Amino acid sequence: MVVSGCSSGPSLWRPVALTLCCSKSLDRFLRMAELGKPSILHPDKGKVSIFVDCSPTAEPTFEVPFQDVLIPGRGSEELSTELAVALQRCLLGGKSGAGAAIDLSSLIVVDGKVCWDLYIDGLVVSSDGNLLDALAAAIKVALSDTGIPKVNVSLSAANDEEPEVDVSDEEFLQFDTSGVPVIITLTKVGRHYIVDATSEEESQMSSAVSVSVNRHGQICGLTKRGGAGLDPSVIFDMISVAKHVSQQFIGVLDSEIAAAEAEADE
Amino acid sequence: MEYVNPLTGFRVDGRRPNEMRQLKAEVGVVARADGSALFEMGNTRVIAAVYGPREIQNKGQQVNNKEALVRCEYRMAEFSTGDRRRKPKGDRRSTEISLVIRQTMEASILKDLMPCSQIDIFVQVLQADGGTRSACINAATLALADAGIPMRDIVTSCSAGYLCSTPLLDLNYVEDSAGGPDVTVGILAKMDKVTLLQMDAKLPMDTFESVMGLAIEGCKAIATYIREVLLENTKRLECQRG
Repeated sequence: MVVSGCSSGPSLWRPVALTLCCSKSLDRFLRMAELGKPSILHPDKGKVSIFVDCSPTAEPTFEVPFQDVLIPGRGSEELSTELAVALQRCLLGGKSGAGAAIDLSSLIVVDGKVCWDLYIDGLVVSSDGNLLDALAAAIKVALSDTGIPKVNVSLSAANDEEPEVDVSDEEFLQFDTSGVPVIITLTKVGRHYIVDATSEEESQMSSAVSVSVNRHGQICGLTKRGGAGLDPSVIFDMISVAKHVSQQFIGVLDSEIAAAEAEADE
Repeated sequence: MEYVNPLTGFRVDGRRPNEMRQLKAEVGVVARADGSALFEMGNTRVIAAVYGPREIQNKGQQVNNKEALVRCEYRMAEFSTGDRRRKPKGDRRSTEISLVIRQTMEASILKDLMPCSQIDIFVQVLQADGGTRSACINAATLALADAGIPMRDIVTSCSAGYLCSTPLLDLNYVEDSAGGPDVTVGILAKMDKVTLLQMDAKLPMDTFESVMGLAIEGCKAIATYIREVLLENTKRLECQRG
């Protein structure tokens, strides 16, 4: 696994790019933050949106269809949406904002007026199965590299006016990623279930359960895919296996992040 | 704005006028593709993947059944430029660049050796800092070579411009958006033939000749580098084969 990072950004958009190559699937993630208005329902929280794009380099069927030809390019739209929604479910919590892995109140600048809009864009460049796990790991690593610029708000603005903000180029606040979970997908093939399936193994799967677990061993999200039914006891078993594996995975990810940060500091 | 410092002669990023950005290439980055390559020119990073030759997916697109069908798609990632793009594909610029890359590579691929088949070239821009067109063509050449597709010659591409009365090689985004002329040249390296030539803004004729000459020299330098990378890759494959 290779982790590397770089950050730059002269304008109000703050791009923080990170590359994560898992041993099979290659995903690139970027965070971009823009100053926006918080929603009326949650005036004390910032906004986070997750988008996934599957590049045709990963799979030739992912290309844009020509207008007059019915090519199965639809496959990319469906897959991208499925991945993005699954990631949102695991990372952004329910409709009330409860249970979000990322602390949205750290993205607020002025209550009810100005907040950070964080865009998480994922790009799948090369695919060999288990995309969801790779994407979630990439998000975690990229968030650990994200710095939100400090914003100085001028206090002289009237209550109903837009306050003046001055975005600092120098000072950054590091994101707190200790609560960000990882996703472990268990794929049922035949009578066994396996972790981290390759695309060859996935072609034979009957169903799959993706469990999102955080550092404290708490489950943050659960998705079951595939047509075959599963016995509830099997699902409980899968969850406990996922919890066990995720602790090891989080440990490996953390050490890789620390190693990459140490390398970047040199 | 001072694109070329009059005292030192350095450009905005510290390069000399006839100095190219740092090149970096890696072959075989997408395991699933028949051939793939990652190409970096300074801060511009591009991945190209080649699938083919394979069976034609859509007979309606085939024009000449004695030749292979070459298709190309150019895409930019949403995060590749400074502002987040909302439409990474299907817009006019992407369509035009896809066409340009396809025509440039078609000049080199020996299509009549692979009739009734299809070669797909997919280029994805990860980071854009000027010269994406050229980086895509260079990456596509490497990917085609990695896929073992027969080609007449290595196709390389480089851009050059003219700012502050100086021809500049390999423009980055800041210099490209300065409003000066931007000449993009693609050549077949050994055969010394031009397959791509595009220019915007205006230039007097003799200045154009010197700028184009500079771009061609840049292309030849890239061709030398690409040849080295391919040789290294072949040696590595030979060692692996035992």
